[in-house]
Amino acid sequence: MYGYLGIDVGSVSTNLVLTGEDGIIKQSIYLRTQGKPIEMVQQGLKQMQAALLDKIKVIGVGTTGSGRHLAGVITGADIIKNEITTHAIAASNVMPGVQTILEIGGQDSKIIILRNGIVADFAMNTVCAAGTGSFLDQQAARLNIKIEEFGSLAMQSSVPVRIAGRCAVFAESDMIHKQQMGYNVPDILAGLCEALVRNYLNNVGKGKEILQPVVFQGGVAANAGMKAAFERALGHPVHVPPYFDVMGALGAAMLAREATNRKGTGFRGFDVADRDFKAGGFACDGCPNVCEVVEILESGQVIARWGDRCGRWSNVLERHEKIS
Amino acid sequence: MSVTVGIPRALLFYYYYPQWKTFFDHLGVKTLVSRETTRGILEKGIKSTVDEACLPVKLAVGHVLDLYDKVDYIFLPRIVSTARREYICPKFLGFPDIVRNNINNLPPLIDYSMDLYRKGSSLYNLFYTVGRQFTHNPARIFMAYKKSIESLRMHCQEMEAGWLPFEAGGNHNHEHRPQSAGVQDVTIAVIGHPYNIYDRHISMNMVKRLWDYGANVVTADHLPENVFRREAGKLPKQLFWTLNQRMVGAAFYYFDRPEVDGLIHVASFGCGPDSMTGELIERFARQGSRKPLLNLTIDEHTGEAGMVTRLEAFMDMVRWRRQLDDVAATYY
Repeated sequence: MYGYLGIDVGSVSTNLVLTGEDGIIKQSIYLRTQGKPIEMVQQGLKQMQAALLDKIKVIGVGTTGSGRHLAGVITGADIIKNEITTHAIAASNVMPGVQTILEIGGQDSKIIILRNGIVADFAMNTVCAAGTGSFLDQQAARLNIKIEEFGSLAMQSSVPVRIAGRCAVFAESDMIHKQQMGYNVPDILAGLCEALVRNYLNNVGKGKEILQPVVFQGGVAANAGMKAAFERALGHPVHVPPYFDVMGALGAAMLAREATNRKGTGFRGFDVADRDFKAGGFACDGCPNVCEVVEILESGQVIARWGDRCGRWSNVLERHEKIS
Repeated sequence: MSVTVGIPRALLFYYYYPQWKTFFDHLGVKTLVSRETTRGILEKGIKSTVDEACLPVKLAVGHVLDLYDKVDYIFLPRIVSTARREYICPKFLGFPDIVRNNINNLPPLIDYSMDLYRKGSSLYNLFYTVGRQFTHNPARIFMAYKKSIESLRMHCQEMEAGWLPFEAGGNHNHEHRPQSAGVQDVTIAVIGHPYNIYDRHISMNMVKRLWDYGANVVTADHLPENVFRREAGKLPKQLFWTLNQRMVGAAFYYFDRPEVDGLIHVASFGCGPDSMTGELIERFARQGSRKPLLNLTIDEHTGEAGMVTRLEAFMDMVRWRRQLDDVAATYY
């Protein structure tokens, strides 16, 4: 049997998906990136190999997410694509006719508007990371609640507390204030969900025409409280697809299928998981820009470089991933 | 011995440099432009400016710092208004004072006002007072002024012919444009302040990136003045700011043009007028048009990943939409 591998290296999670030739998911793996993207890609590959038992041969690899270039170099990806495109592709395949995708991840949140099956518009949060998964994580930790229990607790609320969602700093002080006034935790959590949804719709969803069917994906979609808050705010049902947390990886696998349509794969095999990869870096002193050049080393040998504006370092390598 | 006047490569440099240079040349005064923005220049500027200032102003201070020990004068005209009944952002107005209060041991600043707000006010006032610093011959100043107007006109013509400010100026410099000119299959309008979109450092080389993705880039500066003024007139009320009027007018125009596939609005974080133009473009200019619009905010961050992701996704989207339109065109 043959299959396609999709890898999504995000700020918070690293996801791997293996699809069959028909695009149906055979195996998915969700790992926390924990600031170690290289190790997590390798760990994910190991787990994937163990789960497959050599029954499926990988004939295409796609990478996405903010660590896509890193993962692409390690695995020898056939396609390296941004996460907006991969999310849109995955959602429109999982739910044909989808018109709006709400996606909230660890460090970014985005809205993708599709019409007739293609992306018609999209927006991403700007420089501020308020209203993303990391903030929910942080607040759950402060209230000493497991992030997995967040959603079910929020669902127990009867009267959500009003919390200012414009800025994460204000939201936090508002929450502390409400908590000291004696409101119970579920109501505060539900209020936080509503504040995030309000913030999302005002900032990311500003001026966008949100039409049904709406798909809600990304790690935060696991939170039932957020789904309920979106449904209340939009006034119509919001669908969370079964593989909501690995949609980026799924899209990457689908793109890999397209990219290897008439040619072989560049996949370097699962044994890259055991090779020694290191990311190094240095500040180039060639000009006052002082670019921070990143080097990826495999067993002491440089296999990729990026981060330099002028190409002085990245261009000297034979095979290089162009990132800047 | 001739004197040297320093001109910072910032703010309205991108519009007026040819004029300023010609004027000083004809007075026999040497000019020195600060070097292209680097991280060092930006960091120096950030360090010596108040926190509330926007990125372009901080950068401009950095450019002044790049010049101040190399020249005898620094040319920082106090730009109040460049057109009748319109203003330029107040930070331009106060810019000479920002510089004076933040930098020690400055060479003398040439900071006479350029104010065309009132009827009958003339650009000549500025140039005459500047010229008097270097010569006592009014005829010479007048001649230099005439030549400078001529070169500004040439500069505008070149831009209207499709060149960008950093390419214009006689030596059409092709090195930054992609070699194979035939591959530009989409046209993207980049709407933003000239000092944001043409500065290679703070825009993270956006124009070059778009060229590399196979896009033909058009900006507000490719339009003659009467066009963007006419288009901006579609707003219910006239905008006060000249530059933003230019941007909104260009957005109106490009949304209507069939050959333009998408627009990118570039705002600097903390810019009041920009936050409003963004809204105006979204609400008014886009009405009735389904063309994709991308809002990008630039600030001090050096991580390029966010910008690259958005531009890539935007280009993917523009191409997909085009394909779909092509399919539709063959069926109907």
